[in-house]
Amino acid sequence: MLKGIPVSEGIAKGIAVCIKSEDKSENKQCIYKKAEDKDQESRRFNTSLQSFLEDTQESVNKLKKRGMEKESGILKSHMEIVKDPSVISKINEEIENGCCAEEAVDKTMGFFADIFEATGDELTMQRAADIRDVNKSLRDKLTKSESADLSNIPKGSVIIVDELTPSMAVYIDPEKVTGIIAESGGYTSHSAILSRALGIPAVLSVPEALLKINDGDELIVDGTTGDVIKDPTDADEAEYMKKAEDFKKHKELLREFSGKPSMTLCGEKKDVFANIGNAADAEKARSDDAEGIGLFRTEFLYMDRDSAPGEEEQLEAYRKAADIFAPAPVIIRTLDVGGDKNIPYMHMGKEDNPFMGFRAVRYCLENQSLFKTQIRALLRANTQGNIRIMLPMVTNLCEIRDVRDMINKCCEELKAEGKEFNSNVCLGIMIETPAAAVTADILAGEADFFSIGTNDLTGYMMSADRGNAKVSYLYKAYQPAVLRMIKFICESAHKAGIPVGMCGEAAADTILTPCLIAFGLDEFSVDSGKVLETRKNISMWSFNEAVEVSEKAMALHTAEETEQYLNSVKR
Amino acid sequence: MVSKKMKVVNSQGFHMRPVTEFVNNMNKYNADVKIIAKGNEINGKSLMNIVASCIKFGDEIELQCTGPDEDAALKAAADMIESGFGEE
Repeated sequence: MLKGIPVSEGIAKGIAVCIKSEDKSENKQCIYKKAEDKDQESRRFNTSLQSFLEDTQESVNKLKKRGMEKESGILKSHMEIVKDPSVISKINEEIENGCCAEEAVDKTMGFFADIFEATGDELTMQRAADIRDVNKSLRDKLTKSESADLSNIPKGSVIIVDELTPSMAVYIDPEKVTGIIAESGGYTSHSAILSRALGIPAVLSVPEALLKINDGDELIVDGTTGDVIKDPTDADEAEYMKKAEDFKKHKELLREFSGKPSMTLCGEKKDVFANIGNAADAEKARSDDAEGIGLFRTEFLYMDRDSAPGEEEQLEAYRKAADIFAPAPVIIRTLDVGGDKNIPYMHMGKEDNPFMGFRAVRYCLENQSLFKTQIRALLRANTQGNIRIMLPMVTNLCEIRDVRDMINKCCEELKAEGKEFNSNVCLGIMIETPAAAVTADILAGEADFFSIGTNDLTGYMMSADRGNAKVSYLYKAYQPAVLRMIKFICESAHKAGIPVGMCGEAAADTILTPCLIAFGLDEFSVDSGKVLETRKNISMWSFNEAVEVSEKAMALHTAEETEQYLNSVKR
Repeated sequence: MVSKKMKVVNSQGFHMRPVTEFVNNMNKYNADVKIIAKGNEINGKSLMNIVASCIKFGDEIELQCTGPDEDAALKAAADMIESGFGEE
């Protein structure tokens, strides 16, 4: 599987068509594509030849008009070079031997230029330059004619280019091109904007795509995740066809729910936020119509590198996300390392039970300088006042107090340094440990907000690892133990007058929506692709209806019964 | 087949520009055109072959034309070469 930057959403399936353009630098070694279709290469050569002859004739006429008879003679020679029977027959021979048009032209012209140079005759040797000149012009024509070729490619093609240029885009027929892969470009590149405008799923910045993918390869392009699957298995196909179906549904939702507030049937306003892993995701979340960020997982900033990101680097990332959503909240979770997330340079050591070990806020409070860097970056990024700091893995009140002390210390430092920052920042906590859940009423007294992390909470409540097939059946948010906790957390938050959100997968679970509305959840933070679906789910229920369903569900005694009941009333 | 021997009279010999015209002209005829020079047989309709042969001032060559319009082809070819392609 190859991976790149997803820039144009949707799932595409198709046959690879590699389009290689001329290397811009002359010294760079050319990479020829494999010629699959000799007739096509022959056609490509003839098209470029005709175009070359027409253009050159036009130049000859112009020169003649200006009285430059001699100079026009040189160009006439160039026309004669490419029309030369020995040149044409050699090019055809090379194509017949499996060369692409570019390689055939290069080989042939190189062959004759070498002969000219080997004569030892001054005048003839100079003419080798003419041959190379013609060679270059023909190559230029071949490159340009690629654009024309784009319109002739078969239906169901995924095109692979080094860069998608506007001139190419003119020739792309969305009926035929199902997907686009490029070696360069990011979310805001020309290629990306063009792909989105054409509505064709696209993945950019796929390293060495033109080397790794050959013409005729079967491909699946996931323009939502950035995955490119070569030679997919039946299982891959099934998975992606389902994704394609979901995407279609999402598109329909987009038309219906995009740009609208998230509201229950009776008009109660809810927030539907997005979970993101980096600042670039924030842009996508915005375009997916998220109303804010409910969880910015900062650990991704720390991963896949040799040392921790500095204050300025973090500042930039946080500020970018904050700017995109201001004045709406951007909830940034402080470094959550440990458990399954190991970062080598942090030397966390091997533990027998990492999920109950030295991780998250515990690690940060021990490694103050690392933590301070993050807190300082957050305070400085908070210039618009919409950043909220959220602590992971909290189990008791002291942790909140310790972090608050640290925030105050950082504020003093920043003030002394004369740096711009905003000390008016909310400090909230993830509720993901049973300890935090059962003491939610205590914690609510000092936290500014809650966000229920149902993924870990479910695992810790049920003492069941979802990744362990033998016990994963226990891992369900419909377990009475989990639902009771969620209810209690929401009630505790409201009693204390603080908002409560949810950033686990349960927030996007259609059948749980009525319960969450009934419990009074204020904010649903979901993967950005699920924002609209969640908004739709919320819009299906009035508060009273939701309470009715929730009361019945909470009266049931097993997860299976609860799930079955919630499914039966699902909207 | 008709043929004719002659000497190259223009000082620059068979270089690119005059040969372009020569080849252009020869392509109007159906007949095959061959130039025998220095023991080599050269396609008289191929600019590349002719230029690569480096035919110089004073070289002795033979023109050979074969085909329905061989006489006309030979005359046209000989005229061009003997007139030094209109050069000095």
